[in-house]
Amino acid sequence: MQSLSATSAAGVLLDLSGAAILLLSFACLGSKLFNRYLAYYGAQSVVLSFAAGVAAYAFGSIELWILAVATLAIKGIGIPVSARRLLIQRLELKRDAALSTGLSTSLIAGGALTAFAYLVTRPQLLPHGLVAAAVVPLSTAVILLGGLSMVVRRHTVAQLIGWLIVENGVFLGAITLVATFPFIVEAGIFLDLVAGVLIMVVFVSGLTRRLASASAGELRELQG
Amino acid sequence: MIALMILAAAGPLTGTLAAGCGARARPAGWAAAAGALVSLVCAVWLLTAQLHRTPLRGWGGYLYLDSLSCFFVLTVAAVTLLASVGSVAYLSAEQDAGRLSSFQVRLYYIFFGLFAALMLAALETGNLGLLFVLIEASTLASAALVGLEARASSLEAAWKYVIISSFGVTIALAGTLFLYYSASGLHLAVEYRLAWPYLFSHAHALAPGSLRLAFMLAVVGYGTKVGLAPMHTWLPDAHAEAPSPASAMLSAALLNTGMYAIIRFLAITHARLGDAFPRAVLLAFGFLSIVIGVLFMIRRGNFKRLFAYSSVEHMGIIAVALGFGGLLGLYGALLQTLNHAIAKAVLFLTSGDVALRYKTREAAGVHGMLTAVPVTGGALLLGSFAVLGSPPFGVFLSELTIVRAGFATSSPVFPLLLLALLAVAFVAFARTTTGMVTGAPPGEPGDEPTPYGGRAARLAAAAPLGVGLVALLVLGLWIPAGLDTVIRHCVAVMS
Repeated sequence: MQSLSATSAAGVLLDLSGAAILLLSFACLGSKLFNRYLAYYGAQSVVLSFAAGVAAYAFGSIELWILAVATLAIKGIGIPVSARRLLIQRLELKRDAALSTGLSTSLIAGGALTAFAYLVTRPQLLPHGLVAAAVVPLSTAVILLGGLSMVVRRHTVAQLIGWLIVENGVFLGAITLVATFPFIVEAGIFLDLVAGVLIMVVFVSGLTRRLASASAGELRELQG
Repeated sequence: MIALMILAAAGPLTGTLAAGCGARARPAGWAAAAGALVSLVCAVWLLTAQLHRTPLRGWGGYLYLDSLSCFFVLTVAAVTLLASVGSVAYLSAEQDAGRLSSFQVRLYYIFFGLFAALMLAALETGNLGLLFVLIEASTLASAALVGLEARASSLEAAWKYVIISSFGVTIALAGTLFLYYSASGLHLAVEYRLAWPYLFSHAHALAPGSLRLAFMLAVVGYGTKVGLAPMHTWLPDAHAEAPSPASAMLSAALLNTGMYAIIRFLAITHARLGDAFPRAVLLAFGFLSIVIGVLFMIRRGNFKRLFAYSSVEHMGIIAVALGFGGLLGLYGALLQTLNHAIAKAVLFLTSGDVALRYKTREAAGVHGMLTAVPVTGGALLLGSFAVLGSPPFGVFLSELTIVRAGFATSSPVFPLLLLALLAVAFVAFARTTTGMVTGAPPGEPGDEPTPYGGRAARLAAAAPLGVGLVALLVLGLWIPAGLDTVIRHCVAVMS
């Protein structure tokens, strides 16, 4: 099976991008202001598209180039910019509606989850020496951190971005071994993502109109 | 045959097309029902034609149909037919009462058709990546149905549903990724990288550590869609807030589609890692779901939530049956899937009639249905006894099979626990529904007995209930030879 070795130039670059993506997920987790949170997510997606570009170059795969460009355009630029417009201009929201735990608690939990990701995925996966073996724990950690951001953030839009971080983690894992999933699958995942964001935005604006603020803390009508 | 497969999946799109072209509620509803009928006929045809042949493949493995997928296609198509006939009556009544605008009705049919078609397509693919794509897409289509009425509570339910399910399914995608990694020792051609039949036949060469992780992630991820506890939290809200025929689709079709995905992962895991590991995982999630479902059924409140928690319980029972495994366990699981789907479709459709007639979704506000609305009341009473597993209905037979499987394959503690929980569920559920059907009806004796105007609408409301109950009765008395053969073939596919 076709895969990159960890010592090749592309392998080193992918490894570094993986580490940068993990750090940016921590930055998202730790940022209090909404615009920073969005900016870190955007930066993470830009690094991800760079990683996809590296893989595309290494494998000589046109499909992966397309995905890299789509990632840059939609996840790196489109979503952060439009989310910013929606939140800060239309909903007049400057700050995040706070975390439900303390900042340090969530960072410590994030550290624990990263350690857990390494514990679970390190020993059993791929033969050592492949770049995938190094990147898979990173991508697992990004998935867990995205989930954590969804849990600790109160605002619905912040939860949406948390889901997109999870998606970034999965995508990072998918590009490292063999070129990628079959193109039709990757394209389908991308379409789902775009449709998902659109439908979620419709719900968020509906909720904002009804509840004055779309903080998930106010969603408490349905219980039991 | 390939054309037939495509037709089976594309059938429900007739409703989408009709509504997209601007048809009114009734014509769009009948178009949706006709499309569902086409799907059902195709499913039966495929099932009979394919029974003793090798699985159908097409488009480089993206299309794949064996007995197991055929069985689920049949279930989903049958539920879609019941729900779309029910929609004809329900949606026009809602529109006449001024609760839905004609635009909302059109949106309903557009997304209803998409939702059904995407689920059917998900069942007909052999590529696990595409399976994820289609299941996630069906989540989005059904989220639009949940939020359709655009009240604050339905938007809240829709938000909860879409965010929790999308996250869950993304976890399942990570599981798919790990499955893909576990196959890194194999030298696979591009088109086989995520192909289920290929991975299944080479299961012995998969890396066990990675596969174990893949199975766990798939159970948690797709289990979110199935409504296994503790990932079930979206389920009661979405079922309670969606229009009733859409609730029927969620409970009887969507949950089964999720379970189908878990079964595909289970088959591969079972072939590589043996009995013990998948059994432990499925029994844990299954029993937790049954306990949570039963506990919340004791509370008396919104009857649609009651039915939803009963779905959590039943999905738990199916997971437990899959965990028991063996011929009996798998047979019971599939039979239970079919029975539960029909029974729950009937119950949710009656819940729509009740909500229209009594203008409340609280069980405490509903009395005397047998006197006031004898047809709906009778269907609710029979349907709830059917879903609770009393003889002579089908669920009794399948639950008995599952308990027998438990005694045959594991320590007697599990089947005894299952029986005890079923007894509690019976009391909790029947207490509420019998309270709804008996007693004196509220209001003047001269009240309109039915919320539906016109004979066609009344017929459309009553027909799915009658057909569903008759099917349940037949399945309880006698399993047709054809169905028995099909289920045995499905079990052979899984092991």
